[in-house]
Amino acid sequence: MKYWNPYTETLPPEQLDAIEFAYFKEYLAYAKTHSGMYREKLKDINVADIKTLEDVRKIPFTYKDDLRVQQEREPQNFPYGALLGVDIAEVSAFRQTSGTTGKPVYVPESYESWQWRVESWCHILWMAGFRPRHRVFLPVGYNVYVAFWECHYACEKVGCEVVPGGALDTIGRVNKIIEVKANAMGCTPTYGLNIAEEAMKMGIDPKTMGIERMICAGEPLPEATRKRLEELYGAKVYDHIGGTEICGWAAMCEEQKGLHIIEPFFLIEILDRETLSKEVAEGEIGVVVITPLGRHSFPMIRFNTNDMVVKGKGGCACGRTSRKIMEVVGRADDLRKIRGVLFSPKTVEQFIREEFPEVVEFEILVERKGIMDELTLRTELQPSVGKDKAEEIKARLKERAKVKTNLTMKVTLEPEGALPRYTLKAKRFKDLRGVK
Amino acid sequence: MEEIRKEIAAIEKSAKRLKELAADMPGIKTNADIILTFVFLLKFVTPVAESKRA
Repeated sequence: MKYWNPYTETLPPEQLDAIEFAYFKEYLAYAKTHSGMYREKLKDINVADIKTLEDVRKIPFTYKDDLRVQQEREPQNFPYGALLGVDIAEVSAFRQTSGTTGKPVYVPESYESWQWRVESWCHILWMAGFRPRHRVFLPVGYNVYVAFWECHYACEKVGCEVVPGGALDTIGRVNKIIEVKANAMGCTPTYGLNIAEEAMKMGIDPKTMGIERMICAGEPLPEATRKRLEELYGAKVYDHIGGTEICGWAAMCEEQKGLHIIEPFFLIEILDRETLSKEVAEGEIGVVVITPLGRHSFPMIRFNTNDMVVKGKGGCACGRTSRKIMEVVGRADDLRKIRGVLFSPKTVEQFIREEFPEVVEFEILVERKGIMDELTLRTELQPSVGKDKAEEIKARLKERAKVKTNLTMKVTLEPEGALPRYTLKAKRFKDLRGVK
Repeated sequence: MEEIRKEIAAIEKSAKRLKELAADMPGIKTNADIILTFVFLLKFVTPVAESKRA
């Protein structure tokens, strides 16, 4: 079976529009009556006045900072406050955001809302070719973070066998993959690279570990990193994009050209960065605004993700009719002005993974020295790289960084194990300006 | 798709009746509730498609 849901995945886009709009109106009415946040936020919005998709733009955005404020209200619904959309007795699971950009947001899941989320994730896995014959190793302790819980439940639902790999170190995980003959894996791209690195240190070629398919979660996946993972494991590696507040909402199909929006689960708007008022044209970069259309425990209307993507063209060789995004450019939050130049850490990851297979880990620091911002690229090379070769790589890194970012970086070579290894979301970019 | 929708409606009716019959039996009532959760999902993934753009 090629499609998880052949009916919705092949509907004409105009019919998907109509379905999503109808779902949106129902969901808007629900949010207004069941969520403290939206009772207040939408008090001047009359659902009956929203007659077209264009009218949706009249509704205010929801920002992450709103959520932080609203969860402090309505103490009877602690810790979710005015974000809760069901009776608190219906909440069956607690999740939270990673807190990368500030105080974490606590997310309540009812059984129904969780299953809705899992169903959306089934599309992600099915598109990535996960099938009942797969034994999927999840090499992380899921903790309170949602992505691998979603992956776990969705793997079970599509019929895979899940091997949870928490409470092991990386060596233990390499051994477990081999011991149980896992043939698929779900992990952050960074940790996929770390497992491969650890396996090589153990004298094991990652290609011989038997992983044939991988779904990445938790971090952006630049194309060069995806290809590197494919080379290391000899596996097919797939990307998806999502967030704790709004679920996994787009994923790669077997064509591996962009990501399909999972329709009709979400109303997705890709808006111009300057005014956030117009849908961008195909091929242009826009900010993603999302309404997940069936999440009652945590209503979310027009959530401004701050994620910037390239809007894709309709149609795909896979036959799915859903809209696509061609590339995740990064988060608006990640862009920094350094010495007057707009800098994206993703650019550095992209060229390192593409051109420097010897670099096993890296970190970018920006500090203020006097009145100048100074960038340092700290790198850790494979232990087998000799001293002369290391110096040559260092010089080349400096040169390529300048070409790719228009910024001069100091490059350092760090001893083996000096840089942190991440199991979940990696923090390779550290802006220390203003930090004493 | 129409036949599928009819079957979903029948399951919903049946699960609601089950809930009524098992009002004092948490095990059975909870399982009926779980069936209704999946009825919600089944309805969500089998929407009636209209040909006109909203």
